[in-house]
Amino acid sequence: MENNSRRTFLGLCLGGLAVGAAASATYPLYRYLAPRQADTNAGKVVIPEKDVPLGEAKFFEFAGAAAVLVRTTKGELIALSAVCTHLGCIVQWEKDKQSFLCPCHAGYYTAEGTVISGPPPRPLPKLPVSVADGSITIG
Amino acid sequence: MNLLKKLFDWIEVRVGASELVEKQLTGYLLPRNINAWYSLGSVLLFIFVLQVVTGILLLIYYVPDAEKAYSSVSHIMNNVPYGWMIRMFHAVGSNMMVLVLLLHMISVLFMGSYKKPRELNWLTGFMLLTLVQGISLTGYLLPWSQLSFWATTVATNSANAIPVIGPHLVEFLRGGKLVGAHTLGRFFALHVAVIPVAIAGLIGAHLFFLKRTGVSTPPFGQKETGNQWQGDSYRHEDHPGGIPFFPNFMLEDLRSISIYLALFFAVVFFNPYLFFPSSAFVPANPYVTPAHIKPEWYFLANYQILKIFPNELIGLAVQGAAMTFLALLPFIDRGKEKHPLKRPLFLACTVIGLLVWLALTVWGHYS
Repeated sequence: MENNSRRTFLGLCLGGLAVGAAASATYPLYRYLAPRQADTNAGKVVIPEKDVPLGEAKFFEFAGAAAVLVRTTKGELIALSAVCTHLGCIVQWEKDKQSFLCPCHAGYYTAEGTVISGPPPRPLPKLPVSVADGSITIG
Repeated sequence: MNLLKKLFDWIEVRVGASELVEKQLTGYLLPRNINAWYSLGSVLLFIFVLQVVTGILLLIYYVPDAEKAYSSVSHIMNNVPYGWMIRMFHAVGSNMMVLVLLLHMISVLFMGSYKKPRELNWLTGFMLLTLVQGISLTGYLLPWSQLSFWATTVATNSANAIPVIGPHLVEFLRGGKLVGAHTLGRFFALHVAVIPVAIAGLIGAHLFFLKRTGVSTPPFGQKETGNQWQGDSYRHEDHPGGIPFFPNFMLEDLRSISIYLALFFAVVFFNPYLFFPSSAFVPANPYVTPAHIKPEWYFLANYQILKIFPNELIGLAVQGAAMTFLALLPFIDRGKEKHPLKRPLFLACTVIGLLVWLALTVWGHYS
């Protein structure tokens, strides 16, 4: 009986040590592999106004993901996430049609990000835009 | 519990796992007088796995480009969380691997375990030693520091002494007249793909020969210490009444691995730059040779031999002869006796050989 309780105690100690060792190996490994926030901009991007002429779009990185800034033919500035809401492909700007096409599965969006046709379930998320002193600030 | 048993039974009736466990683990008996030195092979296997794992992790951030290699290593060391630890595990681990490999070899020498019918075990082990030296040498260049650059320049340059083909061989090794971006590409491919695959294959062969021949009986604590092998037919060396590999010797293996890890962690966490001179922290500059550039500690004896002899070719020939002698030892030493104290010539040669190697290493370090 005494031997059994000693064996159980030692087994528990060894098990605890093994769990501790596994945790102390897993945590650094997770931290080593985890994506790093510092590699992306902090969610604020400034673009000179002259970089986005009428009817054109400019793609850029925003908080680690693709985004697009459009100046419609009416002169309105719109910033959207460029990630298709269907399966995550990056949409393309079709200047002649003034709309976005997702080339993966032919999803169409308006310049405002509303779904026209195809499989996308939701519109493209909008990003806040402000203009001051010839610079456009997104975010 | 019931589910586990059902799963075990499901596997059991298909692959006969319990028979395998009985044959390879619990029923695999080892000599009763086996000692801790016999677990160094398991320690080496553990180190190799750790080197492969940390090497793969380093590949995530390392850039094998002469322009970016040094900064990518700096990035790993300074910016990536725990990157310093992964890199230190890899760099310190490579040194420790050579050290444990040498200890394993010395123990095999003193136990007389290299003698027939284990010539193939010895030969594959010897080839593993040279490959481990090769993987260390090629890995040394990858951080693209002053130390990497100039140590590789000196190491590859020594092939120049070989008559006729020497200069071509140097150029071939480097991928150009001097160490440069092409050398990095070659060494990188050798370090991460060619040599590790060769090492894994040779470890497989080494273990295969061990399993087929059986574990040798240590000559210590025995009355009869002569080699019993007759050479007339194949015979697996069994150890009836011996201790089972599982759990008995596996615990011994785990104890040795734990002791190794204690020493390894002591270096990594308390003296991580033990194997790093200051030139390891300066980016490679092909136009500035640092003073007193030295190879790694396990090449210091070779380096000193090249310096002692007035002619580099003689220095290389001496090293080649010593290595060939060591590789062919089981074919040269054909005596039956295994106990080192009953082999005075062997004991004297081995002790003197080790002392000479140590002296050359220390001399190389301070020269």
